[in-house]
Formats: sequence, C-alpha cells, structure tokens
Amino acid sequence: MTFRSCGCENELARALRDGHWPEGCGPELRAHVDTCGSCSDLVLVTRTFQQARSESEQTAPCGPPSLLWWRAQLRRRDAAAERVSRPVTIAELFALFVYGFVGVVLVASEYRHGLRWASWWSQLAPSRAFHFLPVGAAQVDWNLLLFISSSGALALLSGLVVYLASEKP
Amino acid sequence: MDSDAFAGFYQRSAPALRSYLERVSGNAALADDLTQESYLRFLCATCPEGGEVNYRRYLFRIATNLLRDHWRRPKLACIEDVPEQLLAARDGLSRIDSQSVLDPALARMRPRERQLLWLAHAEGYSHREISEITGLSTAGIRLLLFRARRKIARLLRQRIGADRGRA
Repeated sequence: MTFRSCGCENELARALRDGHWPEGCGPELRAHVDTCGSCSDLVLVTRTFQQARSESEQTAPCGPPSLLWWRAQLRRRDAAAERVSRPVTIAELFALFVYGFVGVVLVASEYRHGLRWASWWSQLAPSRAFHFLPVGAAQVDWNLLLFISSSGALALLSGLVVYLASEKP
Repeated sequence: MDSDAFAGFYQRSAPALRSYLERVSGNAALADDLTQESYLRFLCATCPEGGEVNYRRYLFRIATNLLRDHWRRPKLACIEDVPEQLLAARDGLSRIDSQSVLDPALARMRPRERQLLWLAHAEGYSHREISEITGLSTAGIRLLLFRARRKIARLLRQRIGADRGRA
C-alpha cells in the first residue's frame, strides 16, 4: 500500500473538525472531494466517527464526580500512609534478619563447642529446679533456670518479630 | 484542582472519555471501569500545567495506558468480558446507525487502529497530540492512520452498500 497524502487534506480536516463541511467550504474543495479517493475517505470516516461520538456521549452513563473525588482522597491517604510506614517495614525486616543471623551464629557456636545441649536435656529431668522447693531451701541449678528463661524470652520475641514483620497496614 | 473544579471538568470530559474507551475496547462494562480508574489516577497524580486542554489530553493518555495494560493481561473467561450487547439490548434508536455501520467495521480493525482512528477523527486530535497520548512516533502515527483510514473507509462503504441493497 502506498502512502500518498493529498494537498487538500489539512484544509479538509480543519473544515471537518470545525463543523464547516460541506456548507462552509468552497465549490472547488467540494468538487475535489468527489474526485479524490483520499479526501472522500477522510470525509466518510470523520463524519461517521463524529456522529458515533455524539451518539455515544448522549447515552454514556457516568457516575457522580463526588464519589470519584472521595475515592481519590482515600487512595491518596493510603498512598501517603504507605510512604510513611515504608521505613518502619524496612526496620522490621532488618530486625528479622539480625534476629535470624544471631540465631544461626548461636547455633553454629554451640555446635563448634561440642553441642552441650544434649547433656543439658539429660540433666533436665532429675534437676532440682522441677522439685518446686523454696528457692532458699535448696541448691538451685542456676544454669538450667537461665536456659529456660532465655528460651521463653526468645520464643516470645520471635513471635513478636514474626508478627511485626508480617503485619500489613 | 478542587472538588468543584473537578466536578465541572468531569461533566465536560467524562462522556467523551467513556465513548473512546467503549468504542476502542468494544466492551461497555470495561469502559465504565477504565473511565473510573482513569479519573482516580488523574486525581492522584500531579496535574499537568496548561489548563483543561492539557488535563484532557493527560486523561486520555492515562486511559490509553490502562487499555494497553488490559490487553497485555492474560485473558480470563469471565462474565465481565462478554460484550454487553450480548447480554442486553441497547436502548435508544439514535444508536442504530452507528451500531449497524461503524461497530461491525470497527470490530474488524485492530485495537491500535481503532484507538488511532477514534483519537484522530472523533476527538479531532492532531498527530502530535496522538503521539503524546499513545507514545508512538508522529511519523508512525501518520502511516498507521493512513492505512487504518483506508481500510475502515472500504469497510464502511461495503456496509453502507449492503444496507442500501437490503433497503
């Protein structure tokens, strides 16, 4: 298909756009359109589309602008809140990473020193910590108590960290 | 832009934007959704300088991008994707002409051609303005429009000839 534009096309397009076709145009232009294929295509297509546009506009159902305005305000507010909370989310993720890293280092360190947890567990049952004697009345295994309280604190903290890291606004 | 200014701008521009989206997509429900989304994005974005003409062009650009995103998305078999005319008869006798002549011709055009034809011939945008809206080069638009216009003119003449033959 060859691309050949007619010299009258711009003038004709302007007349069509401004609604001057055909009454507002000279007889030469009208005669030209009858003989020029490109210009007659332009007239046919433009007038058909203009008619379709005006028909569509008359029947186009459009919602109330106030509703859109309100929804846009909500979206803006959400976007602003997300922008503000982004550093907090990054801090949470960083905390989660540090927490995991410390855990891995701890496990690796214990493993290198011979994994003494197995012996702790074996001492757990006969330990006097579970005899529920008054603290001052008996010799308490302070290492075991420290281990149990640390484990409890770690469990609580890990739950908190996972909750904060997974929380969505 | 404050609430009252937006209401005025919306009343003046919404029918044209919705017509554009409906004719190019061929889907009234989709046109409604994209019209709303276009205005929401327009309101959330920083408006361009230069008054209503530029607002309007910016709005058409947002709508064009939304349409392009819609076409890129994988198709789902969903009730919303069914053209509305298959579900309910359209109202208004004034639509019969453009429905019987233009719609079948538009249905045989590619989405990009429909888009360019509507922007050029229904909205009256220049090649430079269409270039700003669609992101295509001006030279490319000139060539694509020339071909699309020739193609749709042939289809329209066939359709008009067939209608006259029936009458």
